[in-house]
Amino acid sequence: MRKLSFILSLILLFLAVPAQAQSVDEILNNYFENTGGLDQWKSLEGIKMNAKVNQQGMEIPLEIIQLKDGRQMTTINFQGKEIKQGVFDGEVLWGHNFMTMKAEKNDAEATANFKLETNDFPDPFIDYKEKGYTVEFMGTEEIEGTETYKLKLVREPLTIDGNEEQNVSFYFFDTENYVPLAVQSEIRSGQAKGMTQEITFSDYQEVDGLYFPFSMTSGLKDGPSNPMSFESIELNPQVEEAAFAFPEEIVTEEKN
Amino acid sequence: MRSNMFFLLVLGLTFPLSGVSQEQTTIDASRIFGDLSARHIGPALMSGRINDMEVHPTNPRIIYAGTAGGGVWKSNDSGTTFNPIFDDYCQSIGAVEVDPNDPDNTIYVGTGETWTRNSVSLGDGLYKTTDGGSNWKKIGFEKSERIANVIVNPNNSQEVYVGVLGALWGDSEERGVYKSSDGGATWIKLLYVNPKTGCADLAMDPTDPNTLYASMWEFRRTAWSFESGGANSALYKSTDGGATWNKIHNGFPEGKLGRLAIAVAPTNPEVLYTVIEAEKDERKGLYRSNDGGANWEQLNNDFGITVRPFYFSRIVVDPKDENVVVKGGLSGSISRDGGKTFKNLGNMHSDIHDIAFSIKDSDIMYVGTDGGVYRSWNGGTTMEIVQNLPLSQFYHISVDDAEPYNVYGGLQDNGSWYGPSSSPGGVNARDWKSAGQGDGFRVLKHPTKPIIYSEMQGADNVWRIDTERNLIKTIQPQPTRGVEKLRFNWNPPMAISAFQPDRFYMGSQYLHKSEDMGDSWEIISPDLTTNDPAKQNQEASGGLSVDNSGAENHTTIFTIAESPLDENVIWVGTDDGNVQVSKDGGKSWTNTVANIQGLPANTWCYHIEASSIDKGTAYAVFDGHTQNDMNPYAFKTTDYGASWTNIINGEVEGPVRNIQEDYVNPNLLFLGTEFGLYITLDGGQSWSKFTNNMPAVAVHFIDLQKRTNDLVMGTHGRGVIIIDDISPLRALTPEILDKNVHFFENSPTVISETSNFSGNFGGETEFVGPSKTKNVQLKYYLKKRHTFGKMSMEIQDMEGNKIVEIGPGKSKGINIVNWNYTRNVPKVAKGKTFTFGGFTAPQVPAGTYKAVVKKGKDTYEHSFELVYDKNSPLSKADRDMKNRITMELYDMVQELAYFVYEMDEMIAKMESDGNKKMLAKLNTLKESLVITTGDNYVGSAEPQLREKMTNLYSKVASSYDKPTKADFDNLQLITERFDKAKADYAKLKKKIKGLEGISLMSFETFLESK
Repeated sequence: MRKLSFILSLILLFLAVPAQAQSVDEILNNYFENTGGLDQWKSLEGIKMNAKVNQQGMEIPLEIIQLKDGRQMTTINFQGKEIKQGVFDGEVLWGHNFMTMKAEKNDAEATANFKLETNDFPDPFIDYKEKGYTVEFMGTEEIEGTETYKLKLVREPLTIDGNEEQNVSFYFFDTENYVPLAVQSEIRSGQAKGMTQEITFSDYQEVDGLYFPFSMTSGLKDGPSNPMSFESIELNPQVEEAAFAFPEEIVTEEKN
Repeated sequence: MRSNMFFLLVLGLTFPLSGVSQEQTTIDASRIFGDLSARHIGPALMSGRINDMEVHPTNPRIIYAGTAGGGVWKSNDSGTTFNPIFDDYCQSIGAVEVDPNDPDNTIYVGTGETWTRNSVSLGDGLYKTTDGGSNWKKIGFEKSERIANVIVNPNNSQEVYVGVLGALWGDSEERGVYKSSDGGATWIKLLYVNPKTGCADLAMDPTDPNTLYASMWEFRRTAWSFESGGANSALYKSTDGGATWNKIHNGFPEGKLGRLAIAVAPTNPEVLYTVIEAEKDERKGLYRSNDGGANWEQLNNDFGITVRPFYFSRIVVDPKDENVVVKGGLSGSISRDGGKTFKNLGNMHSDIHDIAFSIKDSDIMYVGTDGGVYRSWNGGTTMEIVQNLPLSQFYHISVDDAEPYNVYGGLQDNGSWYGPSSSPGGVNARDWKSAGQGDGFRVLKHPTKPIIYSEMQGADNVWRIDTERNLIKTIQPQPTRGVEKLRFNWNPPMAISAFQPDRFYMGSQYLHKSEDMGDSWEIISPDLTTNDPAKQNQEASGGLSVDNSGAENHTTIFTIAESPLDENVIWVGTDDGNVQVSKDGGKSWTNTVANIQGLPANTWCYHIEASSIDKGTAYAVFDGHTQNDMNPYAFKTTDYGASWTNIINGEVEGPVRNIQEDYVNPNLLFLGTEFGLYITLDGGQSWSKFTNNMPAVAVHFIDLQKRTNDLVMGTHGRGVIIIDDISPLRALTPEILDKNVHFFENSPTVISETSNFSGNFGGETEFVGPSKTKNVQLKYYLKKRHTFGKMSMEIQDMEGNKIVEIGPGKSKGINIVNWNYTRNVPKVAKGKTFTFGGFTAPQVPAGTYKAVVKKGKDTYEHSFELVYDKNSPLSKADRDMKNRITMELYDMVQELAYFVYEMDEMIAKMESDGNKKMLAKLNTLKESLVITTGDNYVGSAEPQLREKMTNLYSKVASSYDKPTKADFDNLQLITERFDKAKADYAKLKKKIKGLEGISLMSFETFLESK
C-alpha cells in the first residue's frame, strides 16, 4: 500500500515536472534569445511603426514612434489631417482634441503614470530586477488554443483617481517558441474600469535581426477585439525633435 | 540514477494507458473552440440571489458580492457597477473574506451558498487569491459543499478560520470550524459535532482574535422534506483561538434549537446578538448579551426576525453604533434601539440575505437580496438596485422562431419573462417583458399563435397569455371526480407538440394532455411515479419552523418530451427516478429505468431529450444531488429504452441538468451541468468544457434555435447565455481537423438595411447584453495558431478585385472574422476640418464574393454569398439605381480629393515661385471647394463643395431607399458646381508657367497614400 502511494506521488511529481522546470529567467532568456538576443534589444534606441487599424469600412493609418528615453508619439491620419495622440516628450503627455484639432495636455495622473513607463523601452522585462519589478511564474495557460507560460509582471504602482494601485500585467509566452502571444491587464479607468483588457500578438517577423509582432488585436478578454497590423517597422529612426514638444498656443493680436 | 529508473518505470506505466485511449475514434474538442464565444443577454433588471456582501476594510470604493449562483462580483465604484472576478470556478458562493492585513490582494472565497432553500447549488471548496482576484487557487474543503464564513485574524494573515456548514443532502464529516496557521496551506478541525451538524455562523471579537463564537446547526434536506433543528444545534464560544469551546446558552430557550446567527458589535465586543430558531414560537427571535455571551436576554420575536430561519439568519451590527442592528428577512429589519424594536428596510426585492455598511458612512448600506444588490444612501429607508448584475436564475428556457427569436424562461423568485435574443443597441432591461408571477419555471410559446404558456410553483397557476390582445387566463389541470389529488412538482413540466400546434401537455403524477391550449384536459397515463407515500408528507416539512411552501413536493413527473418525429412517442421522466415511454400516444406505458446500468435507484430524471434524427433514440440525464450523489449521469437509447448506454465519462464534473442533441449531427451533444457547459463531437466518448466567456455556472436548460443554430442556455445565476451559430462544430470531422486551414460553409448572409435610433441616456450603469452580429461571418479552422510570418485576409469580388482588407483571426481551432459588407470610406479632399459625411462606408451590392487568406506562401480562398432581404420594399431597379448613384458620388468625392490635392501642389508651387497673383486666385478657388477655417464642432465654417458633396453621398449611401428627386436635384447642383470649378481651374492652369516642375502622383497612387 505504501509502495503504491509512493508510485502515485511519483506520477504526480512527473506530471508536475514540465511546468515546474520553467523558471522565470529561463522563459525570459529564451524569449530574448529567440527574438534577436538581449544585447541587441538593449542597444535599440527607438522604433517607428507604420500601422493600420481596420474598423469596418475605415482603414486608419497610424504612425507610432517609441524612443529609448521614453518619448512616444502616435500620429493618426483622418481625411488627410494628422491627429496626434499619446505624445510624450519626457514630461508632458498630450494629444489633439478631435473637435478643435488643437493640442491639449492629459491630466496630471495619466501623465505621471505614463512617465513610469519611461524605463520600459523596448520591453519591460529587460533588467526587470534592476528596475525593482517582480516577475512570477504562474504556470501554464491556454491562449488561442495554444499552451503558454503565464508570467505575472508587477511594475511601479500607479495612481488612479487619487489612490495608489498595483500595476500588474500577465504575459503569456508560447511554450514552443517563447514569444509572447498575449498580455492581460486590468482596465484602470473609465467606464470599463475593473474589466480585463487583452492584447494578442502574431505575425512575428524579423526586422534587422529583431523579431516583432506585425499583427496585434486589442479588446476585452473574452470580448470583441480590434485588429491592428504593421506595414513596416523601422529601427533607430531619425525623428524630428520638435514634434514631441507640446505646442504652446501663441496668442497673436489681430491687425486691423 | 535510481530515481531516473523510477521515472522510466513510471513513464512505462503511463504510456500504454494514453495509447489505448488514442486508438478509439474520439474527437478531442478541447482547444478548438477558438472564437466561438458565449454572449450574455441577461436579464439584469431583476438580477438574482445574493448570498454574502463584503466590504474592503480601508477603501470604501471596493465592495464584493458573493452570489448564490453567479460567482463573485467586485465593485470599484462604491457599488455603482460590478464586474465578475470568479468566472472560471464554481459560481455558488457562501462567503467572501478580504484579508484585513492585505486587503488589495488577498481574498478568500468559500463556495456553496448557505441559505439552504430547495434549489440551492453546490460548492466545491475554498479558494484564495493573492493578486486581487486575477488568479485563484483552491486550498481545500473539496467536500465541504457549503462554506458559511471565512475570517482572517486582523493581526496575522496566516491565521484563518473557516466555518463549514457542510453537506445539505446527506451526512458529511467535513463540517464545523477549521483553522489554518499557515495562510490556508494546512487545516485543523477545531469544532465538530456530528455528520448532520454544521457551522452556520462564525464570528470573531475584533479586539481579541482568540475569542470566537460559532453557531452549530443540525439540518438536513431531502428532495421531499426539510428539517431544521435538533439537540445538537448550539452556540459556542472559544477564548483560546478555537482550542476549546463552551456552549453559551444562559438565557436561551429550552429544548431543541434550529439555525442560530451570531454577531459581535464592532464598537463594543461585549455586545452580542443572536437570532434563535426554537421549539416554541414565543421563544424564537433576537437575543442580546452585554457580557460577551455569559447571559442572554430575548428582545424581539417579530415576524421579520423569526421568519424562515434557514433562509434568513444574518445579523449585522453597524460598525459605528452597537445599538443599530440589521437582520435579514423577508423584507429586512433594522433596529436603532439595540434590538428592542425593528422596522422594515425600504422597498426592494424581498428576501434579504446580507447587509454591509460602508466603512465610511453608516448611512450607506449594501443589501443582498433574492433580486440582486441594493444600495441605500439614507440608512436603509430608500433603496436602489444595482443595474448591472445579470444574475438571473433560470429554471428553464425556450425559444421561438421570430426574427430575431425571443427567449422565454422562468426565474427563481422572479417570475417569468421573455425578451429578444438581439435588440437595437443591445438587449436592454426594457426589452424584457413579464410573463408570470411568483417563482417562474417553464415558459413556452405556442408554435403558431401569439400565445405564451407560463406557470408558477406547483402549477398553482398556469397562464395562457394572448400577447397580441393582452388577454390572460389560467388553464392548470384541476381536481376531477375519481382522480387522486394531483401532485405537481415545484417546477412542473409542460410541453408542446411538433404536430398539433394547440396540443399542450402538463405533468403531475399523471400525464395531462390538452388539444385546445389548456381549455380541457385528459389524463393519458397512470401514475407514472413510484407513488411512494413516505415522500408525500410535505405538511410536516421544515423542522422547528414548518416550511410547507410546495418546494418539497415529490413523486411527480419532471420532464415530458413528445418525439419531434412521431407524435405517438412520448417520454416522461420523474423526480423519483422513472423513465417512462409510450409508443401509442399514451395508451400504454413502459418504465425503462431498470434498463439503465450504473444509475442509483430513484435518481431524479432531470431531462429527456427525444432525438430529432431517429425516433427510437432519446437521451436522459439524471441529477442525484438530492440523494447526496454529485456524480454526472447521461444515457442514450436507440431502441425506445430497451437498452441504455452511458455517454459520459470522467471528464464531466458535477450533476447534470440538461442535454441537447444537434439537429443534424447526432454526435454533437451539449451537456448542461452544475458547473458549466460541456460539448462532445463524438457522441459522448469524450467531453470538453466550453469556457469561452462561459462561466462555470449551473446550466439548467439548453435549447438549439433551429433557424440560426444558436445554442441558448438558461443558467441558474448568469441569465441567458447564447453561443451564436454552433454549425462549425457540426462540420468538424477528423479529416477536417487534420487540415491546416479549412473554411466552413456560409449560408447566404442577408444584407441588413435596417437601422434604429437606440439612444439611451440614463442607462450608463445598466447591463446591456450584446446583440448578435448582422455582419457576414467568415469562419475557418486553423490546425495551429498562426504566430510567425504574415497572414492576411482580403475580400475580393469574383474577378479578384480587392474590396477591403480585414484582420484575420490566428487562433488554433475555429476563427470567426466579421465583415460588414462595406467597402472602405472614400478618400476625401483635405481641408481644415473633417467632413463627417466622408466617414460613411458604402455597402456592396448583393452577390458572390470571396475571402482570400494569404498565410505564408499559401493562399486559401472561400466564396460566400450576400443576398437582399426578401421583405425589403425595394425592387431590383430601385436598388441598382441606389448603388449606381452611391458609387457615382463615391467616385466624385475621390475625384474632388485628387483635384484639391493637385491644387494644393499648385499652390505650393506658386508660393515657392512667389507668384502672389496666381496664388490668390488659386486660394479663392480652393476656398470654394473645401473648408479652410474653423473647427469640427460649433466653430465650424460655412460648408463648401466637399461638405455638400460628401453629405449627399452619405445621405444616399446611408438610406435604405433609392435616391429621391430632391437628391437628384441636389446632385445636379453639386455636379454643375464641380464642373465649373474644374473649368475655372483649367483656365487658371493655362496661365501658369513652369507646370513641368510639378510632379503629381497618379490618381491610383494618390488613393493608396495616407
